[in-house]
Amino acid sequence: MIEAHGLTKRYGPKTAVDDVTFTVQPGKVTGFLGPNGAGKSTTMRMVVGLDRPTHGSVTVNGRSYAQHRSPLHEVGALLDAKAVHTGRSAYNHLLAMATTHGIGRSRVDEVIAMTGLEPVARKRVGGFSLGMGQRLGIASALLGDPHTLLLDEPVNGLDPEGVLWVRNLVRYLAAEGRTVFLSSHLMSEMALTADHLIVVGRGRVVADAPVADIIGRATGTTVKVRSPHAARLVELLAGPGVTVTTSGPGQIEVTGSTAETIGDVAAAAGLALHELTPVAASLEDAYMSLTADEVEYHSTGAGTHLDPEPHRAGASAGSAVTTGRL
Amino acid sequence: MTTLTADTRRTGPAHRPDRGTERLTFGRVVASEWVKLRTLRSTWWTLGVTVVLMVGIAALVAWGMTQGDEPAPPGMGIIAVTAGTQMAQLAVAVLGVLIITGEYTTGMVRSTFAAVPTRLPALAAKAIVLGVTVLVVGAISTALSYGVTLPFVSGTSLEIDLGDADTVRALVGVPLYLAAIALLALGFGALLRHSAGALAAVLGLLLVIENVVALIPLRFFEAISPYLPATAGSQVMMPSDFAFADPDALGAWQGYGVMLAWVAVVIAVAAVLMRRRDA
Repeated sequence: MIEAHGLTKRYGPKTAVDDVTFTVQPGKVTGFLGPNGAGKSTTMRMVVGLDRPTHGSVTVNGRSYAQHRSPLHEVGALLDAKAVHTGRSAYNHLLAMATTHGIGRSRVDEVIAMTGLEPVARKRVGGFSLGMGQRLGIASALLGDPHTLLLDEPVNGLDPEGVLWVRNLVRYLAAEGRTVFLSSHLMSEMALTADHLIVVGRGRVVADAPVADIIGRATGTTVKVRSPHAARLVELLAGPGVTVTTSGPGQIEVTGSTAETIGDVAAAAGLALHELTPVAASLEDAYMSLTADEVEYHSTGAGTHLDPEPHRAGASAGSAVTTGRL
Repeated sequence: MTTLTADTRRTGPAHRPDRGTERLTFGRVVASEWVKLRTLRSTWWTLGVTVVLMVGIAALVAWGMTQGDEPAPPGMGIIAVTAGTQMAQLAVAVLGVLIITGEYTTGMVRSTFAAVPTRLPALAAKAIVLGVTVLVVGAISTALSYGVTLPFVSGTSLEIDLGDADTVRALVGVPLYLAAIALLALGFGALLRHSAGALAAVLGLLLVIENVVALIPLRFFEAISPYLPATAGSQVMMPSDFAFADPDALGAWQGYGVMLAWVAVVIAVAAVLMRRRDA
């Protein structure tokens, strides 16, 4: 179990993590979701004591990380795929890590086999691809067979097979009763992998709930309407809790109402509808709505549709602002 | 790229019968630092260069001493054996800097501090492993340097008397001096955390600052010069009857003590900062 209380990290005038409080429970996969610069990596570094909090505290199973007698058995961390000396081979890197805790060579061979690093284990890490570096990072995290796994963007750079493997692995580890804390900006991946989500934006927790709840909150809340009488419809639909946005000529998007209500209102007023589509919300939509105001780096020239591709999260979130919030 | 094993069950604790004895201890951190040191090419390059410089320069100087028209003054043979230290210390300094800055520049230090979260045991283990390694390599280099001068100095006024306590002290002083230089470099590396910056600082101190200060004929500089780390520490390698000795120089052990004090201060400051700074 990971418990953070009022965790804050400032770098000069910039606040990276702002009074964050959360608990990561054992036995399930907890996703840590947020746009770039939201403070995910900083938070994870504070969990294992690499960064010192400006305020607040974080404990792993009741103690701060540094107080554990056997840290690698307590927490296995993949914090940065580049946390390896480029001049050393993968095997020797793992051996050096294992030696600090008296973990034997057989376990080193085991994690190398598990992560599929055998063919490159004796090669120097400097020549590794992003995917191989990521596998080595995961191998290091598993080395101590830890109670808690802390994985920062573990599927970055992995091929689809590797992504599937990580998903199965973390679900298996959680099913064994371990604590699994996984950060990502790949929302679709989170929907498949995580049981619980902690969503952060600009260093603050904006949501902390089961994945199903977060998706549920967003589902069916937006309805796309096309009508030659769009202007008249806007007047009729306007009301408390309902937001109507004009998205094009004769085209509106309604949030806070249902397709049934809109259809009935239009029929009662004798207005023809050319389209009436409830927009099925996904975790992406939920995520965009939650973090719309929290995105650190907005791109200019925002797209007009919600884009599931993670690297365009900034652009998509920009459009989410104009199309209304949950 | 190979496939990942689908069988994730092998991570389970049931497969780890020896887990009970696995725990973080200082001895294991030292063993880990030895694994790290021996598994980098830069270690073998810098240590190899150290040996080659020591032995090569010893042979060259010994040969040069026998080529003069006038016989070299007695007791100069020891100077030939230790002459390579001036160059070899640069290779040793590079090793001392890289052992720590190599971790900072590659990000390895985050793995190190995740395994040893109290951090200072890792720094202490590095110092022990580095110090012992350089002592051993320094001792081997000195022995080889002595051996390589024998053909030149045997039977001449330069012959080295191993029965003389001061001569033995000067020979033992070579590995001691090199180890102290390595630890000083480790301290600067831990303090500055960048290879280029730390190398510039250490080499600048050894090659520029100490020599320039020694040349300035002002009372202030003349007063501090003997106390600078390499100037003070190198006294431990000087024969007591050395003809060109600086009259202001500290005694052999006194000077070496001053150098160790420098090392201790630099490493202590680095240790305090290492505890405080984000990795």
